[in-house]
Amino acid sequence: MIEVESLTKRYPSHEAVSDISFTIERGEVVGFLGPNGAGKSTTLRMLTGFLAPTSGTARIDGISVLERPIEAQRRFGYLPEIVPVYDDMRAYDFLRYRAELKGLSYRAAKREADRVLELAGVVEARDRWIAKLSKGTKQRIGIADALLGDPPILILDEPTVGLDPNQIRHIRRLIKSFEGEKTVFLSTHILPEVEASCSRVVIIRDGKKIAEGDPRKLREEAEGQMTIVIEGPAEPDRYIEALKDCAPVKSARRGEGRSVEVEAMPGDESLDAIFNAVTAQGLGLRRMERRAASLEEVFVGLTTVEELDS
Amino acid sequence: MKGALVIARREIASFFGSPMAYIVIAVWLVVAGASFDFIVRYFAESASRGASDTPLRGWFQMPLIYIAMLIFAPILTMRTLADEKQTGRIEGLLTAPVSPVAIVLGKYLASLVFWLSLWAPTLFYIFILSRYGDVDRGAVLSAFLGVFFLGVGYMAVGVLASALANSQTVAAVLATLALAGTFVLGLGEYIASDAVADILSYVNVYGHMEQAAAGVLDSRRVVYQASTAALCLFLAIRVIDHRRFA
Repeated sequence: MIEVESLTKRYPSHEAVSDISFTIERGEVVGFLGPNGAGKSTTLRMLTGFLAPTSGTARIDGISVLERPIEAQRRFGYLPEIVPVYDDMRAYDFLRYRAELKGLSYRAAKREADRVLELAGVVEARDRWIAKLSKGTKQRIGIADALLGDPPILILDEPTVGLDPNQIRHIRRLIKSFEGEKTVFLSTHILPEVEASCSRVVIIRDGKKIAEGDPRKLREEAEGQMTIVIEGPAEPDRYIEALKDCAPVKSARRGEGRSVEVEAMPGDESLDAIFNAVTAQGLGLRRMERRAASLEEVFVGLTTVEELDS
Repeated sequence: MKGALVIARREIASFFGSPMAYIVIAVWLVVAGASFDFIVRYFAESASRGASDTPLRGWFQMPLIYIAMLIFAPILTMRTLADEKQTGRIEGLLTAPVSPVAIVLGKYLASLVFWLSLWAPTLFYIFILSRYGDVDRGAVLSAFLGVFFLGVGYMAVGVLASALANSQTVAAVLATLALAGTFVLGLGEYIASDAVADILSYVNVYGHMEQAAAGVLDSRRVVYQASTAALCLFLAIRVIDHRRFA
């Protein structure tokens, strides 16, 4: 189980993570979604004990990462943003070394190294020098590393970065197979990744948590509407009246000052329709602007097409 | 402390798998061997000398030996922690269930092995000497114990420099400055007034080694090297641990 409580990381120049809280129950596969630079890696680093939070706490199975890091670290496997491989080692030797570092005996480490090579689908790289491996293979060796010792919790920072579509499918299937068995928390800036592997998602932007829940529902919510603010010389109520029979408009209400907030179907056609409906009634229009819902903005910043990234 | 041993073993394998190790050892052995050759010839040609004047002691009086040490010691340690930071692999180390203590001690232990691997081949010189004359075993033991304790201090200084620096080059420069600085300071023992000379004698590596080669291992200097090591390693651990709060 992972518990994050008001986690904050402040740097002299900016706040990378502000007051983030969430809980991940045993057996859940949860995505941590946000555009690049939103504070995902910083959060994961605080969760794994690499960075100390400015305030707030992170607990792994109830153990404070800051106060008892080693005990907490025994419970999870972590794939950092920078895969910690040594170029001058062979894949198998590296994994054996990492297994021993995680406290496994020499014999168990040998067995584990082979097991995780198989799981991550990189058996063919076993006896090759890491320096000679492709980025995707190194990445999967990093995933294999996280699986060493069969930890109950996996924390993965952008697990499918640098993989080709086949490899992505393999890793997603692997992650999916952990559902119900392991607690998985994976960060990504790719929307389909979350929809493919996660039962729940925590969305972050500019260091703040802005939503949490079922990934598909959130997406529909974000894509299903758009807010438009209009203002003109006439009374706001007259605009609301004028928009009553306008098809793309779901609702209209008074906003700040003399403005009117209109909820409409997404798309530029809605803007045209609103303009036409208002002018048809002979009302003037001095301001018309689209106000993106914060969730929608986030999705706009995300990579929604796989090909762009792989 | 199993973690420290696992880290040390990887570090040692990596060092001896790199060409750097053999270049350093080879150049060092050329310098050490040439100095030894010079001393042996010198002793062969000049007849009367005092009982405490031995080729072993003469060897440890050769400036070239120290110049080489001050250059090579930082090369042995520069990679240890700076490289982990430079590559970002430090994250993988610090998020594995090993403490900063184990990480620093592991790197230090490996560095000591590198240091000993520089010196181990020079035992062969002693073997050659013993073939052609009497060798004072006590002096040999004290000389190599002196070498060992010198490494205890020097490698710790190097590991601390590597913990502080963000690149190997900076680590090497830092360590060289620190080691060469204290070395020169120690030489001040020979020119300073009595009271100051007494203090400087603690850090006088040249005097320490030269006397150790004559069979006198001064406990003050052993204490100096050991406490340097303890302080440097303590600081290195703090530096690594403190990264979390950056």
